[in-house]
Amino acid sequence: MSLVVKDLTHVYMPGTPYQHVALDNVSLTINDGEFAAIIGHTGSGKSTLVQHFNGLIKATSGSITVNGIDITQKDADMKQARRMVGLVFQYPEYQLFEETIYKDIAFGPRNLKLSEEEIDERVREACALVNLDFETMKEKSPFELSGGQKRRVAIAGVLAMRPDILILDEPTAGLDPRGRDEILALIEAWHKLGKTIIMVSHSMDDVAKYADHIIAFKSGRIAVEGSAQEVFMEPDKLIEIGLDVPKSVKLSHMFMEKGINTGLCYTAQQLKDSLKKILGGGMNAG
Amino acid sequence: MEAIIRLNEIDYNYDTSQESVAVSSVSLDIYEGEFIAVLGHNGSGKSTLAKLMNALYIPTKGKVTVCGYDTSDDDSVFDIRQRCGMVFQNPDNQMVATIVEEDIAFGLENLGIEPLEIRKRVDSVLDAVRMGKFSDTSPNMLSGGQKQRIAIAGVLAMQPKIIVLDEPTAMLDPVGRVEVIETVKKMNEQLGITIVLITHFMEEAALADRIVVMDEGRIVNIGTPREVFSKVDELKSIGLDVPMATELAHEIRSLGFDLPKDIINDEELVEAVCRLL
Repeated sequence: MSLVVKDLTHVYMPGTPYQHVALDNVSLTINDGEFAAIIGHTGSGKSTLVQHFNGLIKATSGSITVNGIDITQKDADMKQARRMVGLVFQYPEYQLFEETIYKDIAFGPRNLKLSEEEIDERVREACALVNLDFETMKEKSPFELSGGQKRRVAIAGVLAMRPDILILDEPTAGLDPRGRDEILALIEAWHKLGKTIIMVSHSMDDVAKYADHIIAFKSGRIAVEGSAQEVFMEPDKLIEIGLDVPKSVKLSHMFMEKGINTGLCYTAQQLKDSLKKILGGGMNAG
Repeated sequence: MEAIIRLNEIDYNYDTSQESVAVSSVSLDIYEGEFIAVLGHNGSGKSTLAKLMNALYIPTKGKVTVCGYDTSDDDSVFDIRQRCGMVFQNPDNQMVATIVEEDIAFGLENLGIEPLEIRKRVDSVLDAVRMGKFSDTSPNMLSGGQKQRIAIAGVLAMQPKIIVLDEPTAMLDPVGRVEVIETVKKMNEQLGITIVLITHFMEEAALADRIVVMDEGRIVNIGTPREVFSKVDELKSIGLDVPMATELAHEIRSLGFDLPKDIINDEELVEAVCRLL
């Protein structure tokens, strides 16, 4: 179960004055069970890239292989590929449309022509995965819910397709701190259940905390790739490509400049622990 | 000093047949030239509050006055909206024209302003948001941060006294966020425009003169960023955060170290920790 992109190029509006190379010869591999994060400023090609992963847009050249199926081939089994790869768009709650939450989540499985029993099972399973109580929610209109709940219903609709690879395009945009933490905790839980996660994000803090493979885009090309440690080691390089570093990285740099050796910390937790350790001696002395 | 926006014992409910109120017993005076940030979790009533400030919503109970005009008075609506402009979260929903300068001229044309004056104002506001070289670009060629700056310029062209921004950076990348917040800060400091910024980003709120914290439709706290963020546990209990520097200071203090309670930025934290060692 892996996703292999090879020499992928995508040109928007080729042959017109608006011709624009959105992806320029991109190659990358996302392995089974990884939590990958794709970062890059607006227009760097992130969303174009992930929309290729389940065949929503077609490559101008290059190949994308999902679990062994090259989805760029003309005769590729796109149905099968789309079942393996679930894509959660930005602000997915805008796509809710059914009268009840049950029907909305059941929409995908129903299109797979599954039995009512199987559909029911999948809706229950998806509700549990997004932490919504099936019995109280099933007959409610999705439009009665809060923003964070709506988003979870929309994601449940994708999870009901039981994808192996789940792509989330800025899943926390517009949520308040608690809503953001809830969604991230759920994503982390799905990852632990074995799903491959690909998260597009503008939040360097979230990326540093959760992802084990970070890919940074600049003008349709991969600018930096690696673990949090590797990617955030050189803050200047990221800032140069219009990105930022996690707040804790910035802070630990400031501490180190003052001679307080916190080490480079990628998450708030690491920085906390490091400061506690450094100060701990001071406290005993006092 | 007379308040530029005065909310007096405001209630607002979307559906009068229901008990639930979006905003309840809210009183708030905002003064000319202030930079106010409004924090609160989704559904806490902060967007409702914003819309009450330029007569998009009329209070169910109580009175809102903006630059002396009562928002419930139909004849004042234009006077209010001209003085109190709004910028929303989604940049794409706010563009009406196919090129940038026409988008900015739209409001002015509707006011029947002379073409020469329109030209002058459009150029000057585009400069103010540092988007001068994009005047004949199509908005769909711009980044999110650039689009939001155009939205701000469009509001600015109306020469408002107040700009209310409802999560203007929620959909932007880090660079776009900085661009927009710097622009907002500049409007406030250099042009003296009163700013009401609704945000989920605590670091943005820390730049304000005063922070208003909303929960369940009520104002639960109001004060300078130092005052508000010093109540870490209280903010967390209503689903909010504090800036990372504040949080770290809080943790270190809980270990028994003597750190000031009102740390709100990185520089202050580093300095305070240095003093401990």
